Amino acid sequence: MKITLTVNGEAYPLDVEPRRILADVLREDCRLTGTHLGCEHGICGACTVLVDGEAVRSCLMFAVQCDGSSVRTVEGLAGPDGEPHPLQRAFSAEHALQCGFCTPGFLMVAAGALEADPAIGDSPERVDGLVGSNICRCTGYEPIRRAILRAAREQTEGERDGGNR
Amino acid sequence: MEQWTRREDRRLLTGQGRYVADIAVPDCLDAVFVRSGVGHGTLRAVDCTAARAVPGVVGAWSAADLSELPAVPYTLLARLSNEESVAGREWPALVKDRVRYAGEAVAVVLGEDRYRAEDGAAEVFCHVDPLPAMVTPSAAADDSVRLFDGLSNIAFRGEAGKPVEESVWREAAAVVEGRYRQQLLMPTPMECRTILAVPEGDRLTVWSGHQMPHRLRRELAALLGWSVDRVRVVVPDTGGAFGSKSATFPEFVVVAFLAVKLGRPVRWIEDRLESMLVATRGRGQDQRVRLAADADGRLLGYELTIEADVGAYPHLGVGLPMQTAWLATGPYTTPQAYATVRSVLTNTMLTYPYRGAGRPEATIALERAMDVMARRLGLDPAELRRRNFIPPESFPYRTPTGRCYDSGNYAAALDLALETLEYDGWRAEQARRRTDPGALPLGIGLSCYVERSGGEAGGLHEFGSVEVGEDGTVTARCGAAPSGQGHETVFAALVAGTLGVAEERVRLVEGDTDEQPEGLGSFASRSAQVVGALLQHVSRRLIDEARERAARLWELPVDEVQWSGGIVHAAEDGSAAIGVADLVKVTGPLRVEDRFESGMAFPFGSHAVVAEVDPELGTVRLLRVVTVDDCGVVLNPTIVRGQAFGSAVQGIGQALYEGMTYDDQGVPVLASGLLDYLLPTFTEVPPIEVKDTCTPSPATPLGAKGAGESGCIGTPAAIVNAVADALRIADPDLLQMPLTPDVVWRAARAPKHEEEVR
Repeated sequence: MKITLTVNGEAYPLDVEPRRILADVLREDCRLTGTHLGCEHGICGACTVLVDGEAVRSCLMFAVQCDGSSVRTVEGLAGPDGEPHPLQRAFSAEHALQCGFCTPGFLMVAAGALEADPAIGDSPERVDGLVGSNICRCTGYEPIRRAILRAAREQTEGERDGGNR
Repeated sequence: MEQWTRREDRRLLTGQGRYVADIAVPDCLDAVFVRSGVGHGTLRAVDCTAARAVPGVVGAWSAADLSELPAVPYTLLARLSNEESVAGREWPALVKDRVRYAGEAVAVVLGEDRYRAEDGAAEVFCHVDPLPAMVTPSAAADDSVRLFDGLSNIAFRGEAGKPVEESVWREAAAVVEGRYRQQLLMPTPMECRTILAVPEGDRLTVWSGHQMPHRLRRELAALLGWSVDRVRVVVPDTGGAFGSKSATFPEFVVVAFLAVKLGRPVRWIEDRLESMLVATRGRGQDQRVRLAADADGRLLGYELTIEADVGAYPHLGVGLPMQTAWLATGPYTTPQAYATVRSVLTNTMLTYPYRGAGRPEATIALERAMDVMARRLGLDPAELRRRNFIPPESFPYRTPTGRCYDSGNYAAALDLALETLEYDGWRAEQARRRTDPGALPLGIGLSCYVERSGGEAGGLHEFGSVEVGEDGTVTARCGAAPSGQGHETVFAALVAGTLGVAEERVRLVEGDTDEQPEGLGSFASRSAQVVGALLQHVSRRLIDEARERAARLWELPVDEVQWSGGIVHAAEDGSAAIGVADLVKVTGPLRVEDRFESGMAFPFGSHAVVAEVDPELGTVRLLRVVTVDDCGVVLNPTIVRGQAFGSAVQGIGQALYEGMTYDDQGVPVLASGLLDYLLPTFTEVPPIEVKDTCTPSPATPLGAKGAGESGCIGTPAAIVNAVADALRIADPDLLQMPLTPDVVWRAARAPKHEEEVR
């Protein structure tokens, strides 16, 4: 089946079998291997990407369902000049990753939420909910929570500063 | 680089990491295994004919189709297995005639991609006549059903220490007994197992997320009948291991064999459902303990009887429970101690190291018994422990079960844990609640542990080198293979610090057997302790070599030549000076390689937990968790603390949530997949305070002991003790892990122990 996926702003015209899951198509057809598969049945969240701004488990979605949609993966987080996303900087600063396998999923869950509501850092319980949606085996999660809060606060402070200027 | 805490972070945070499944190799085939649906049975027939006709399938084989397929190797490392245990008990890479665990592979299908290989696997016909499945050691031990015809299911017996004299039990003021189940756990790294085998000329390059690349190379070469130089093993980014990725697994044997046979790249990327069936398990012990003390609470004797569930084949972990036996007495002086092990084969996947690997089992047994003893004697549990700690001046200390502890200050760790927890305050709150009928019961649990790091005798060394290039860059190589521990950051800093050069000049190369010809790997919390010591050693030797070369150049005695910050200069007047890069240009390549051996080290700590229990719901709420760990000299506090925290969360998993259960056919009861195996999520993470003390190890020049397994070792017993303390039940054996609401609810209804005077 012929589809067009727009991934990180780039159009990928593809011919894919309808049964292929989005994660496999991103990884193998688009060669964007930053999206990792941790369980392939929707539990761990490692494969989370944004589809039209919404966080989805890309192991639970067929690529053909995303025809014409805009997909964002961890490769698309950094700015066009390569400047790291505030979440990427915050994850490093808080040592919120060790083996790094689950990290892209957490980053995308957080990125979707931050973009939908830049003030999410003011509601720590909502950040808790984000962290609770995926599985990490190395960090014990607390550093991930701190990293998301840090990025969120940095973003709101940045905007306040920008508004004042 | 300064915006990244670790060197690894940039690539791992931007999607540029490279795990095995990310590596694209032209013409690579995906392997999918057809697996037995029962845990024990006679294989009657496997027919791959229909599978071979599926479009995109390149081949499909059963054991009968691959008569040359080698068996799975066993390991003698760290006495994990031995010749006697495996004799007559071959572990075929594909089932030949008897299925011994659920998920054991009966056929393999190679396809042009994973989808096609799975299409083929669905067409393989397989018939197994079920036999009774022996899923617990107690069921298997009587040999009424044997896993191997003519051989006992008891595959190993071992002991540590000497039997405790009968008079000790007879004359002691108090003797307590307990039965503790160390349930089977799934290590569950986020990345499952991976292997990609690429034949090139007369060589095979193997990519694998692995802890011991040189072992994998050696074992693969042996089973192919090749010299080791024909196999190259490369470990790229690895998504966690926790002890579970250091063997040559049956699937690895098949993949390497077929890649060579077909002359084509083959990979196996294990999926989670497979992993839940056939990845190695951790723990798996049924324990009986007996502990004797005098009226003052001084320990007199300790007996630990271990019946270990080692799974279907003795090849990987039949001797692993000896780790528990050797550490039976923990941080206490115990005049007489005796630990026995009986390893029993069962129809479950194999037991193998999982973070802690024998030490959690030792700690949980002893520390639960210590709390029962404290209650029996009417002593505060902290006080009982304090009275029995091996004093700091007694090291090196030889235990009755055969370990020689290097250094320790156990009371300091306990004191810090109690102070951080605000122990007295919580005891007061506990007393208050006991008088308030509306308050939920609250308990305080302690756990003091000693563990062992570095490895066993014969495996305490590592290989590596340091080299300076003509541009002044330093390349360090070693045999370690990280799976998230940040070696590139830590070891580059260590080498830079030893040489006195900027960190940016140093690059670490590891996990590649072509780059580093010999090595042991990353296991037993050994990397900082053993590999760190090696890298410091070769760095110092490199300094000496540079000084000698400059001395020859300048015709000076070598003791008049000094090294400072990457520059060699004459000590007397400083007139002669040469940067190391220029020295290399003048005198040729500068490289020092060596083997370096450390001693065993014994990290320790004290963990303390406050738990609130709802007797009506059976729920446990951890109000506070304090971990105090001592791993000697810490190379990178951020990384060690991060591992301590994550490890504590895995320890909480063992205490409260995780555990494998099997049905009558020996099939894991996990109908809803990973959702049914209760890994802690953020929702289950309580407030955890991570602290440390520092008692350097004399066993290694860096003074570092192993880090990272502490939480799995120390935290579970503290949690169970806290729940037992809250419920005040007369029979603490009712609390067997995991403390699910069902377990706790039942325990809450059991008779209470008599109120004693504190």
